[in-house]
Amino acid sequence: MNKLACALATAGALFATSLAHADTLADVKARGTLKCGVSQGLEGFSAKDDKGQWTGFDVDFCRAVAASVLGDAAKVDYVPLSAEARFPALQKGEVDLLSRNSTWTLQREADLKLMFAGISYYDGQGFMVPAAKNVMGALELNNSKVCTQRGTTSALNAQDYFRQNKMTLELIELPTVDEVVKAYADGRCDVLTTDVSQLYALRLKLAKPADHIVLPDVISKEPLGPVVRQGDDAWLNVVKWNLFALLNAEELGISQPTLDQALSSQKPDVKRFVGTDGSYGEQLGLTKDWAVRIVKSVGNYGEVFERNIGTSSKLGIPRGINQLWSMGGIQYAPPIR
Amino acid sequence: MRLGLTGIVLAMAAAFSLSTADAQMRPPATLGAQIVDVPEKPGYVPSPDEEQLDPQFRRQPVFFRTNEAPGTIVIHTNERFLYLVLGPSSALRYGIGVGRDGFQWAGLQKVSRKAEWPDWTPPSEMIERQPYLPRFMAGGPGNPMGAAALYLGQTVYRIHGTNMPNTIGMAVSSGCFRLVNSDVQDLYNRVPVGTKVVIRQAPEL
Repeated sequence: MNKLACALATAGALFATSLAHADTLADVKARGTLKCGVSQGLEGFSAKDDKGQWTGFDVDFCRAVAASVLGDAAKVDYVPLSAEARFPALQKGEVDLLSRNSTWTLQREADLKLMFAGISYYDGQGFMVPAAKNVMGALELNNSKVCTQRGTTSALNAQDYFRQNKMTLELIELPTVDEVVKAYADGRCDVLTTDVSQLYALRLKLAKPADHIVLPDVISKEPLGPVVRQGDDAWLNVVKWNLFALLNAEELGISQPTLDQALSSQKPDVKRFVGTDGSYGEQLGLTKDWAVRIVKSVGNYGEVFERNIGTSSKLGIPRGINQLWSMGGIQYAPPIR
Repeated sequence: MRLGLTGIVLAMAAAFSLSTADAQMRPPATLGAQIVDVPEKPGYVPSPDEEQLDPQFRRQPVFFRTNEAPGTIVIHTNERFLYLVLGPSSALRYGIGVGRDGFQWAGLQKVSRKAEWPDWTPPSEMIERQPYLPRFMAGGPGNPMGAAALYLGQTVYRIHGTNMPNTIGMAVSSGCFRLVNSDVQDLYNRVPVGTKVVIRQAPEL
């Protein structure tokens, strides 16, 4: 799904200018706000609510960084960026951090001179089918009519997947997402395929969303995560360990309701997390309670996920592959010690 | 003593009336182990409408990465889900309600016995909490054990059905792991005696 990658290659040249000054952490502290690049509006990930407040999974990551660096999750200057503008804006230093559903690829690091701080959301291409079909997995989709958007990698991936598994399909390619949804809703195809997060968003447009299920199979890799400029390792560390703190909090059972209890815990890894043992925050150039401030402001990874995109939210995306490694998923963070 | 008991019964009556207000009071699955006191309703037969769960608790195939062999049952009490492993990265997921007993232990068990429409003999602790309960109830619709039970090892714990589908997704006072009857029947037909059952709890602070 990244048609724009080529157009961005030239922007790499601009990077040279930003090397001259590379202490983003000091800049953010001096400025007193974090400049965070987000999408122009993507439900659940980064969008303005009816009160004009930015909310979403990616927005909460900006808030977490502001909480740990500045002690206040509200000190974020949100910069909405189009898919084309996002990487140049980061390269030119217009934002300190990009938290905007961007896929981690080789070209974006090696050519655009950027660094992904980790994977906050494992996305990938999947399939939606009517629940009444009683299908358990994508391997049962032989002889299906499959709807997808024309000119995307989704069409190619679907063809590949069916061929590899010795199944046949009739691919119905349509020019816009809305037409794809309509064709599926009208029964012109049995299956709709695109990235899983989008399948859940599209499902909301159907008359009875609960009558349709997204199959567990994921056939392509679209790892999304926060991005920073190359050449500022200290800042990369801050952003990276913000993500790891969110994940570690969940694994340790530290959440907004249990935070007070965690502060008086005697468990060594909980003590290191909350800063009652060691000086891990200071090592990052932050304060002892850096991770506590993250959880206090946005909660742990699971809380952020559920609130914005999880099964209790409008989108209703199950944790699936984004569950912790200890709970059947692949989200795994190195330890704080 | 008598006053105290009346108080408890009144409190339970209050909890009971709340429990009928379905989805609104159902806590999100992330809430943890805060147990809601919902008394049993022997003899109550739920309507097909009640048996229809919220979408996230309905039986469905999901992504689930595990090293456990296909056919293994993995229960995550904190999530209120039971997974039947289908392959290395998929499982059939069922929404469950977890009783107080379900939070008592984590670890490994095996299905030692299976029964359809099992009889019910409420344990003495339950009789103490709800003295009006029968001492024995034959299996069938309206029985709190529901359509089937899978007995776990030599323990008193079991995976069973329910006549109170609106407790799926909740942590409640009695029972162990409960599924709606259509789900427990489905699971009953899929797993043999000897099936490995892994129970996982939320981490302790």
